[in-house]
Amino acid sequence: MTADDKVKINKLPTGVPGLDEIVGGGLPEFSFNIIAGAPGSGKTTLAHQFVFANATPERPALYFTVLGESAIKMLRYQQQYTFFNPALLPDAIRFVNLSQIVLENELDAVLDEITNEVTKFNPAVVVVDSFRTMVRKPHDGMELQTFIQRLALFLASWQATTFLIGEYAEDELRDNPIFTVADGLLWLRQTTERNSIVRKLQIVKLRGQASVPGLHTFRITNAGVQAFSRTFGLTAGRRDALGQKRLSFGIQELDKMLDGGVREGDSVLVAGSSGTGKSVLATQFIAEGIRQGESGIVAVFEERPQAYAERAATLGLDLEKPQTDGKLEILYLRPLDLSVDETMHSILTAVQKIGAKRLVIDSLAGFEMALSPGFRADFRESLYRMIFALTGIGVTILSTVEVDESFIEFPFSTYSISFLTDDIIRLRYVSIDGQLRKIMTVIKMRGGNHAKDIREYEITSKGMVILNTRLTNYQGLISGLPVHTGKSSVEEAALHDENIKKNS
Amino acid sequence: MYSNERKLVISTAYDAVLTMTISPEIRDLARRLLASEAALDDSSMSMESATLRVYEKLRHSLTAITGVTSFQSLACRALVMAKLEDYSLAAVQIAEDGSLLGFNDYDLQIETHKGRTKEYQSSERGSMLIARLLNLLHIFLGEALTLRLLRNAWPDATFDVRNSGTGEKYDR
Repeated sequence: MTADDKVKINKLPTGVPGLDEIVGGGLPEFSFNIIAGAPGSGKTTLAHQFVFANATPERPALYFTVLGESAIKMLRYQQQYTFFNPALLPDAIRFVNLSQIVLENELDAVLDEITNEVTKFNPAVVVVDSFRTMVRKPHDGMELQTFIQRLALFLASWQATTFLIGEYAEDELRDNPIFTVADGLLWLRQTTERNSIVRKLQIVKLRGQASVPGLHTFRITNAGVQAFSRTFGLTAGRRDALGQKRLSFGIQELDKMLDGGVREGDSVLVAGSSGTGKSVLATQFIAEGIRQGESGIVAVFEERPQAYAERAATLGLDLEKPQTDGKLEILYLRPLDLSVDETMHSILTAVQKIGAKRLVIDSLAGFEMALSPGFRADFRESLYRMIFALTGIGVTILSTVEVDESFIEFPFSTYSISFLTDDIIRLRYVSIDGQLRKIMTVIKMRGGNHAKDIREYEITSKGMVILNTRLTNYQGLISGLPVHTGKSSVEEAALHDENIKKNS
Repeated sequence: MYSNERKLVISTAYDAVLTMTISPEIRDLARRLLASEAALDDSSMSMESATLRVYEKLRHSLTAITGVTSFQSLACRALVMAKLEDYSLAAVQIAEDGSLLGFNDYDLQIETHKGRTKEYQSSERGSMLIARLLNLLHIFLGEALTLRLLRNAWPDATFDVRNSGTGEKYDR
């Protein structure tokens, strides 16, 4: 021990999946925290998860219930959660009801009772639920603040990590002296967007360590509260080391157009109208990866995994066996009110599980539709975070996006997200010689010398097949209504090559 | 005397309560708790005082967890149901603090209901109330948690995980 040694603050697991990362590795031991939010926002459940994650018979948790929810009902409902372990009661977790004392006495008596119980049981964790119901009595503000300060000082001295649970509205956040005393302030929000409920939490304050700022989505399931960090727990530090390897589509001509294939860690956007073969191309990308030993994830929103695999089989691509072998996961992500963060969590879990190198999101439109309306407003920003995080760990992402076919413009995406992608492949219909044919072009390839060709392709029983020659004797192909130049394709090609030579 | 209509209402209520049966395990648990407390008291009124002691231990233990009001509500409910099966509890009441009133003030009574006659012996008296109370806890909290909470009241008792479909069995 030296004079320079700083005190080490232990971090306690919150018991809430995803929350440890948000609070910076766990909650500081002996901290005095407030969990605030509207009724039904998950405050009690979150506190229970912390209690069950940390209580031991040697250092139990004391859970004081005050007014409000009956303890019997609370236990009845809380034990439905998978984290609730009845074996910890009553030795490791003790519930103490303070309602009578609160009703009949002043705050001093309440503090005395808490002090007595804490002295008797030497708890590691103390919860007062709901602390707010105590302060609705006509105490003056100073008495309450004094009570909180005395409680905080006492519990910290007794080496207890404490949670006060309170119902607070948004506008009560400001200038509340109670929050000044607290070391940590966790704010749970639940808002209604059209017909959907959106839950978000914020670490408004946390002394002693850095937490991830901003609002983080959370969901309450039968496993309790699950939080989804805005940063997904990922950094993009590995990005610089990537980009050397080229990933093949398994379509030789397309790989050539992409200067050897997609750069590893890129985000590829395949844009086109309905029926142009976006999903086919995506499936071939995944199948080729598996063929080369690169595991893959397909996130589908518009059809079920079985249907997706069956459709791949019609192209001669077997997606069943790779799933059995643990090389491929097809994620069907279409519950209502999804958040991007939850989707990311599912994808990341799958990526880590099978070590996936390729990811297909089919499609962005389906993805957006699966989101709660409240999250759709942030779709672009969320996509940015997701793509940045995933490509940062070396996953190559191929997203499909449906664009409205227009004969006066050539849009890449309805989401204005082209800046988020490294590479864009555009598919479109074109009217030629009385036929509705398909053309493709590589619009953009960050850091690569991609082909400028507009190539005709067909979807066959073997998937996408790019036809041999480019359509040189038409002008205005990308308008969808090209005009024949009157020259043969051979003449046009020769003319084109001559022009190139002249200009270079 | 009751009118036919009133009799029908009483009969329906009686049947409804009886259909909320108590499992043999809960009845057995109540009897065991009473027997173990009675064994600690050799007075002639051992069962009455045993019942009161069991009830009081439950009251103190559960009140600490649930608060007085919640316990009092549960106890009232248990008593109402127990009275339908044990007429000797007719005069018993639950005080505001959840304690039993009038439990010792009774004469051996004969219940006549639906043509049946049942005589309640001293050894049986009160077990129905305890069983009903335990049954309510069982309904609200489930077996595992109920037995865990009973540890507060009987810290020396052992709750072995054996011979039970739900994993818990009371033993003392």
